[in-house]
Amino acid sequence: MNGFVKIFFSAIFPLLLLTALQPSILASVDDAQSFALQAAEPYVKQGFQVREDYWGGDLAAGEKKAVRQQLFKGNEYWFWMGTEVDKAKVSVHVYDSDGKLAEEPDSWEKGHFAAAHVIPKATGSYFIIVSVEQSPEERTHWALVYGFR
Amino acid sequence: MIPFIRHFKLSVGLLCGLSVYAYGTQAPQHININQLSTTVEDVVVPLPNEIFGALNKLGTVNWRSHVRSDKGPNFTERPRIALLLGTVIADGFIAVQAEDAEAVKDIGQRVLALAKGIGVGNSITPHAKAIIEAADKRNWSNVRRELDRTQNSVQEAMNEVHDEKLSQLVSLGGWLRGTEVLTSVVNDHFSPDGAELLHQPDLLSYFQKRLQAMPEFDLPIIHQIRDALGQVKPLIDVGDRNIPPETVKKVNEITTRLEQGIVTRS
Repeated sequence: MNGFVKIFFSAIFPLLLLTALQPSILASVDDAQSFALQAAEPYVKQGFQVREDYWGGDLAAGEKKAVRQQLFKGNEYWFWMGTEVDKAKVSVHVYDSDGKLAEEPDSWEKGHFAAAHVIPKATGSYFIIVSVEQSPEERTHWALVYGFR
Repeated sequence: MIPFIRHFKLSVGLLCGLSVYAYGTQAPQHININQLSTTVEDVVVPLPNEIFGALNKLGTVNWRSHVRSDKGPNFTERPRIALLLGTVIADGFIAVQAEDAEAVKDIGQRVLALAKGIGVGNSITPHAKAIIEAADKRNWSNVRRELDRTQNSVQEAMNEVHDEKLSQLVSLGGWLRGTEVLTSVVNDHFSPDGAELLHQPDLLSYFQKRLQAMPEFDLPIIHQIRDALGQVKPLIDVGDRNIPPETVKKVNEITTRLEQGIVTRS
């Protein structure tokens, strides 16, 4: 019996704990993606095709991340960012390859949602800078989706 | 009363505007790109559809002349199947542009067969069915969405079994076919704006890096693509200068040759 208890606590219990925790860890970026898609929803009615692919991860408050993306002149793009942490504040901004702010004035930030609107003046690489401005969590999951028309 | 309502509306509008402004952080007008240390390495490769959309805005394109729905050979090498799968998905987007329902349906079946060939058929079956149903109804936006979902599901399924390299070959196959059609269209009716759509040096660098990390895929077609990307890169990495007609022609020759290599048994 003692042998079983020892094996249970040294091997089986940590495995069970890991199995129980794993879905919640994985679910968070998926949840963030759901919020990003929620922000995108009204734009689909305006003819934007939202890509299935997305970027995601976690950031501390005040931390930024840059994503490089190829954009084509002639298309119009929206980038939507979301997190499942409803007391967090996030932001997304787009810069061209020279580092010049490239977004339209109707880009917006509303708590745990943010969006940037880009009508590229040239075809090429752009930098999308995502940031968690404030959050009660130590690390905040985020997801970024984009659409074009 | 009316002026009061008008003032009230203006005040509420102003308050709402200010609160949205206050909520948002002012983004700097300029940043130093070279100092970005936290760049995410992975890029989301644009769908061929994104390029075709931009092309459409430049003038009428005869998409029917680019539709390709022949079955082609069956390969056993997984990297070859992955490249071909990306190419066939791109063909799906071309058939949607041409609004060719029969071609879309054939392509849906072909995508499913190829996905089975690399062991990810299960995740593709519902999408292939949805593509065929949407093509029957001529619901082109649904077909586009399902093609995107197909590519995404294939790549997710591959990543789950740590076949990320095959997943990257799917993207590369799609990009090559998209670039072949882009250069063909611009070559037929040249315009500087059309040629500018080729300005994708970072995307090319991304593919070059990924191919360099695939020494285990020792296949002639992979070597040919690696060499060809090295030829194309200096042609399209022109900074602020215009891409001339002869470059478009050259890139078209290169991508057409590669596409032939992808779809035919060597």
